[in-house]
Amino acid sequence: MAEKWIYWLKEVGQEDNNVVGKKCANLGELTKAGFHVPPGFALGVEAYSRFMKETEATDLLLKFLDTFHADPNNVADTLRYEEASNTMRALVESVKMPPDMEKKIKEYYAEMCRIAGCENIYVATRSAGPTSHPGQYETYLNVSGADDVALNVIRVWSSTFNTRSVIARARLNLPLHYDPIGVAVLTMVDAKAAGVMFTVNPVNGDESKVAIEGSFGYGEAVVSGNVTPDRYLVDKITLEIDEKVISDKGSEFIYNPETKEMEYTELPPDQRKRQCLEDKEVLELTRLAKKVEAHFGCPQDVEWSISRSLPFPESIFLVQARPESVWGKKKKESVLGKKSGMELLFERATTPIKLKM
Amino acid sequence: MADAKKFPYASEVVLPPELEGWEEMYPPQRLFSKDREAWENKHFWYQDKIHAPEPMYPLDDIFQEAWQISLSQFTTRVFCIPPAQGVAQRMLGCYMYITAVEPPPPEVIGEKAERFQKRVFYVFENYDALWDKWLTKFQALGREMESLKIPKEFDKYVPDSEIFPAPRGYTQAYEIIEAFNTIISQIFKAWQYHFEYLNLAYLGYLMFVDTARKLFPGIKESTIGKMVAGAEVSMFRPEEELCRLSRLAAGQPPVAEILKKNIPADKKMEELRSIDAGRVWIGELERIKNPWFFVSCGSGWYHFEGSWTNKMDVPFSYMQSYVQRLEKGEKIERSLTAISEERDRIVSEYKALIKTDDDRKSFEDAYKVVRTIYRYAEDHLFWVEHWLHTIWFEKIREFGDVLVKNNVLKKTDDIFLFNRFEVPMLLEDLATAWALGEGAPTRGKFWMEKAAKREKILDAARKWMAAPGLGVPPEEVSEPFTVMLWGVTTDKVAEWLKGSETASKDVNEIKGFASSAGVAEGPARVLKLLEDVVKLEAGEIMVAPCTNPSWAPVFTKIKAAVTDIGGLTSHAAIVSREYGLPSVTGTGIATSVIKTGDIIKVDGSTGVVTIVKRV
Repeated sequence: MAEKWIYWLKEVGQEDNNVVGKKCANLGELTKAGFHVPPGFALGVEAYSRFMKETEATDLLLKFLDTFHADPNNVADTLRYEEASNTMRALVESVKMPPDMEKKIKEYYAEMCRIAGCENIYVATRSAGPTSHPGQYETYLNVSGADDVALNVIRVWSSTFNTRSVIARARLNLPLHYDPIGVAVLTMVDAKAAGVMFTVNPVNGDESKVAIEGSFGYGEAVVSGNVTPDRYLVDKITLEIDEKVISDKGSEFIYNPETKEMEYTELPPDQRKRQCLEDKEVLELTRLAKKVEAHFGCPQDVEWSISRSLPFPESIFLVQARPESVWGKKKKESVLGKKSGMELLFERATTPIKLKM
Repeated sequence: MADAKKFPYASEVVLPPELEGWEEMYPPQRLFSKDREAWENKHFWYQDKIHAPEPMYPLDDIFQEAWQISLSQFTTRVFCIPPAQGVAQRMLGCYMYITAVEPPPPEVIGEKAERFQKRVFYVFENYDALWDKWLTKFQALGREMESLKIPKEFDKYVPDSEIFPAPRGYTQAYEIIEAFNTIISQIFKAWQYHFEYLNLAYLGYLMFVDTARKLFPGIKESTIGKMVAGAEVSMFRPEEELCRLSRLAAGQPPVAEILKKNIPADKKMEELRSIDAGRVWIGELERIKNPWFFVSCGSGWYHFEGSWTNKMDVPFSYMQSYVQRLEKGEKIERSLTAISEERDRIVSEYKALIKTDDDRKSFEDAYKVVRTIYRYAEDHLFWVEHWLHTIWFEKIREFGDVLVKNNVLKKTDDIFLFNRFEVPMLLEDLATAWALGEGAPTRGKFWMEKAAKREKILDAARKWMAAPGLGVPPEEVSEPFTVMLWGVTTDKVAEWLKGSETASKDVNEIKGFASSAGVAEGPARVLKLLEDVVKLEAGEIMVAPCTNPSWAPVFTKIKAAVTDIGGLTSHAAIVSREYGLPSVTGTGIATSVIKTGDIIKVDGSTGVVTIVKRV
């Protein structure tokens, strides 16, 4: 019996990190824990391996690599890596998927469509490496139709041969022709606004706050840093919005049905400085952030998306959760120096309050 | 030439000509002076809108005079808070300015530190017993003041009872002079007691703010306020009594009917007296009146504010709306359990976020320290500013009445136009004329003219926009009480500077402390005095110089609250949060920039007030 390589999200959890990749494992964990996550399925790293091994892909790559030599630490060679990447990606993307795999993926997609009650549902095909490489591999949004889904799964796999990944592997002396990752196929949220939140104030490590950043349209705009998002700082305990910075967001990242591409569209002037979230949405996100943090037991970095067609609060989806990388790792040290209340009082009494003018 | 970094020095302030002669209302040591100019110019002075938002009546100035001594001495000479010194006051154009005196030399700081540890630690260890002692002696002092005998009128001949069996040896002439001396001593003593533990309560609070901020750098002061505030403190008792009386009335339909009428309070009392159930209800009111109706309609700092005892329309209008709400099945009381539970929830959830056991232990201990003493800040206010001041004002009016009866003054309250050193002159004038026999004149005409002139000066001062600050703002503010009590921080000072540069009509956005979260938009009602509360309509946003717990029932009517000055832990800020209303405090300029009827937007989360549309 061949190893299982495709899973519904609810079938996987944190422990399946190495089976389906980090993103899929976390999304599965969130789904199982009852959070509102866009429905979808995951292709395990085994699917990548099967594709690479059961098709001519590996042979084609190895043959090409035989003739390729460059130094990853030499900046001048970057262009050569870029050319190699283009060739390798073209090679991979020209290969046909084994028919049983393609059939299975299409069955899963059909089931997604059936459950959603919608033909050719739009999905995102997202990369999921077993270790976290934020932004290294690629993600394709607004994919619709079974054929396109299969095609874009291959495109995600081929993104392991994009320039930055190839150079990264070359620097670590890892094989260049093989880097198994998982793929998440998720229902697209027709996002009116999306963004990221931290369950700790990233500025000062204050764990009593949730910091939310969001902008109009899809979350990639915020994650990539292509727009200046609105910022909210919310107290976890009082659920009060402590800070609210509404930015000039310039443009939104949305799907253009005509070109079938995701693109940045300039916002009308009256829209640019409008708050992208309603206060009740900010507070609901905060409640969710607290629950996610409690579930995983450490500060989290959570991506969210708000649907324009669903009613609040079902409109809010979590699309990613991972441990916050800076404050979560800090050593927990005493800041009050074991002082008693009276010692603290004496300290206060002897220290003038200094306020800069 | 206006310097954007400084306010005018006192000597540079140009007063309107109508204020001419204002200086003579106040004792000379309370004025800015050439001989102390160097010291005065070294300090940054700001208008004290908490205690003196209105031009100062000479006799009301006594409380200010008393707290300058009392607050300062407990810091410098009694509990010896090492780097802090007193808070000095000066009058200018009938407004009071204050400044935190610069820190003492290093050797003094060292001497004070030793005493501080010994004395202050003792207080914290024994606070509960000390508070009982405080209340006992303070109530005794108040009762002494209440029982002070002031001659109601001067007898043509001393009655026989003072002659037989042995002449008393002194008369009403002496009695009235002595009575005034006594009441001055009493009010000074009351104000000595006022600060007995207050500085320490504030210090405890600031310590807790520091501790909480070290653990949670972004914790808001309003959240800290929620953690330390007591629910069952004396200052909330008057309102609780109103609720209780309203419930009693609601259970007696004839009483409720009378309370709901749109007629003045004295008419309601009259009607109540005419029915059995009404007399029973009045009996209940009389039983709790002293002390719980001895609550000022304002801050307690001005004679004209009145109290629930002499402006019965205020409590009766509250009760009218309470009875109506009870009939609609609404709950009118603050839920003390809910408040305490919410407080405990906040504290324990924050505590759960603390990362190390050591810090959790320190936090718990710091919290215990602040909770031990903070209730003093909440309890003393009722007993001093409300209960005792109500007694004081009534007693002073007895002196006023005698002066009016004998043609020394025109109106009872004109006595407040003379400072505490001058009133003895009026009384002596009266006593002398009486002693001299028939036909001997007083200087009544002179006093009356003086009173009329002073009333005019105060009127002019009311119309004059006094500068919020004087002199050069400091690089840093190091006196903790200033920061806490008056909400004066460097940010605020910078805002004031902004305000003083631009004409008030050009200011459309005002910043203050975000003291209660939420956003509200609506018409503004600028209330300079609590009496104006009567004009307040449901759904308006209250804009006031400062707020006060006796305004609590107002909060059921309004949409949001904005104040000129105010710390985040003032009782009003607490009430505001309890009623879930957005509020922005410590704006410095709201009452001068906003006009009644302006549409304003209050964001209690960011501390910004925006004038959306002007009238």
